[in-house]
Amino acid sequence: MRAGSAAAVFAVAAVCVCGDRASAHRRDELLQAARVAVERNRVELELDLTPGIAVADAVIADIDRDRDGSLSADERDGYAARVMRAIDLSLDGGALDVRLLSAAFPEADAFRRGEGTIRLRSAVVLPRVADGDHRLAFRNGYRRDVSAYLANALAPQSDRIGIVAQRRDAEQRELTIEYVARGGAQPSLWLLGGIAGIVLAFAALRTIPKEDER
Amino acid sequence: MRSRARVWSIVVFGAFVAAATVLAQRSAAPPPASSRAQADATSRIAASAQAVLAALDEAGRAKVQFPFEGSQKTRWSNLPTPIFQRTGLRVGDLTAAQRDAVMKLLAAALSRDGYRKVVDIMRGDEVLRAAQGAGRASAPNAGAGGRGPSTGSGQRGPTFGEGEYYLAFLGTPSASAAWMLQFGGHHLAINLTLAGGDATMTPSLPAAQPATYSFEGRTVRPLGNENDKAFALVNALDAAQRGQAILAYRVSDLVLGPGQDGRTIQPEGIRASALAAPQQTMLLDLVREWAGIVTDAFAEPRMAEIKANLRDTYFAWSGPTTNGSAAYFRVQAPTLVIEYAPQNSVDHIHTIYRDPTNDYGAKFARR
Repeated sequence: MRAGSAAAVFAVAAVCVCGDRASAHRRDELLQAARVAVERNRVELELDLTPGIAVADAVIADIDRDRDGSLSADERDGYAARVMRAIDLSLDGGALDVRLLSAAFPEADAFRRGEGTIRLRSAVVLPRVADGDHRLAFRNGYRRDVSAYLANALAPQSDRIGIVAQRRDAEQRELTIEYVARGGAQPSLWLLGGIAGIVLAFAALRTIPKEDER
Repeated sequence: MRSRARVWSIVVFGAFVAAATVLAQRSAAPPPASSRAQADATSRIAASAQAVLAALDEAGRAKVQFPFEGSQKTRWSNLPTPIFQRTGLRVGDLTAAQRDAVMKLLAAALSRDGYRKVVDIMRGDEVLRAAQGAGRASAPNAGAGGRGPSTGSGQRGPTFGEGEYYLAFLGTPSASAAWMLQFGGHHLAINLTLAGGDATMTPSLPAAQPATYSFEGRTVRPLGNENDKAFALVNALDAAQRGQAILAYRVSDLVLGPGQDGRTIQPEGIRASALAAPQQTMLLDLVREWAGIVTDAFAEPRMAEIKANLRDTYFAWSGPTTNGSAAYFRVQAPTLVIEYAPQNSVDHIHTIYRDPTNDYGAKFARR
């Protein structure tokens, strides 16, 4: 028996020995936490997948396709791509092509200890978005059989985006963000003050008579 | 000559406009709220921390001290050892006198209720250790936690008990310079950043399992007030208010738990401005269960800040509204996030307490 398998057997056995009262956190679910950042011309998606120790082996098997006990770069890339294929994102009914930016995987043993989180970061550049109301729809169809979901919009970083409502299904597999896109942000007082100072200084310099005009 | 004077007067006027704008921006920010009571509290806490250091040998001091800036700052979790491996001074490794010094430090840093809460959480983990049954039995003062059976590869199972909590100082305990007191273990993370008269105890994670247990003939509920006050508030809402407060979906865990530093989610639920005055009072009383863990000298200005932002505070609920049920709730404001998340059971609760503008004292560093 491989060492990894032995550890996995122990992990499950420990859960059985300890019973529910001794459980550290959710054991039998894959927690998928999605956070969506909406910007004027871009959407960023963070997806964290944390398997409980009772489902860790199933997730490892999803990644470790050649069953050699290690999670190779190709296997990790392949897994991330499969997860992303199960994600749908659309803006006002039009599908968006979400591009994976990065994927961070813990070691397989971390899954077996119940602390491993896979962190997928992706983004999509939006088509030209008109001012006004929009609906960004997110749907996560990955491993619906064993998953618990969280899905939230991050607070916008700019006042050019105003989130009006978030609508979800009961399990948070689906999240629709209703938002308003607005024009350019109000320039800050710092900027206005700086510009005013520069303009006045420039105007002053122009009033200096040139030597040959004197 | 006159034209040159005119030029300079315009240049000076331009510079004045720019400077006045900058000053106006600065004056819009509230002044630092320091008081004698807060400075005295920091001095007391620093002195108690120095007493801990004095009670340790060199090896102990090496274990407890960390740089103020570094990876230790964010190294905290709800998970037990060794699923999450903590560093610092392990309570179970201390002598009785050293442990007494640590508990005196906690008493100085926390309010009476806060200290009681921390002790109850630790005691609950001792109950968990006893329930686990597979651990090596030992009194906490003897320096052991309950450990699960080891695997063939040496991997150990979850470790519970009052001995499995860790203390760390980030920076040098001081009455004036910035430093941090970190204390935590399974279901507990206290992160108290002090900088002279300023202090913040965010992010912190008080949690409980079991959420109800017996100790010396009395029933202990480490987070019982949090639970009961929240159920009282949601049941004080009328139908229309509930329609705004109650989310139509299941929230199975903390959204902004460990590892989620620096993120702010879009608030949901009912805005406190839509609550009647008695309901607002109930909400503030609920918030005090977290904001009041720290010693009173710092809890009071924190509550004043939260009260000042009350109009922009949201209360959201997910789950049944009958007390005794497992229900999630969140309180969110510009400088506050509180989440309370039962883990599929009323007997296993995780909570988080944050200030998105000042976690780890970020605001103090900018001053």
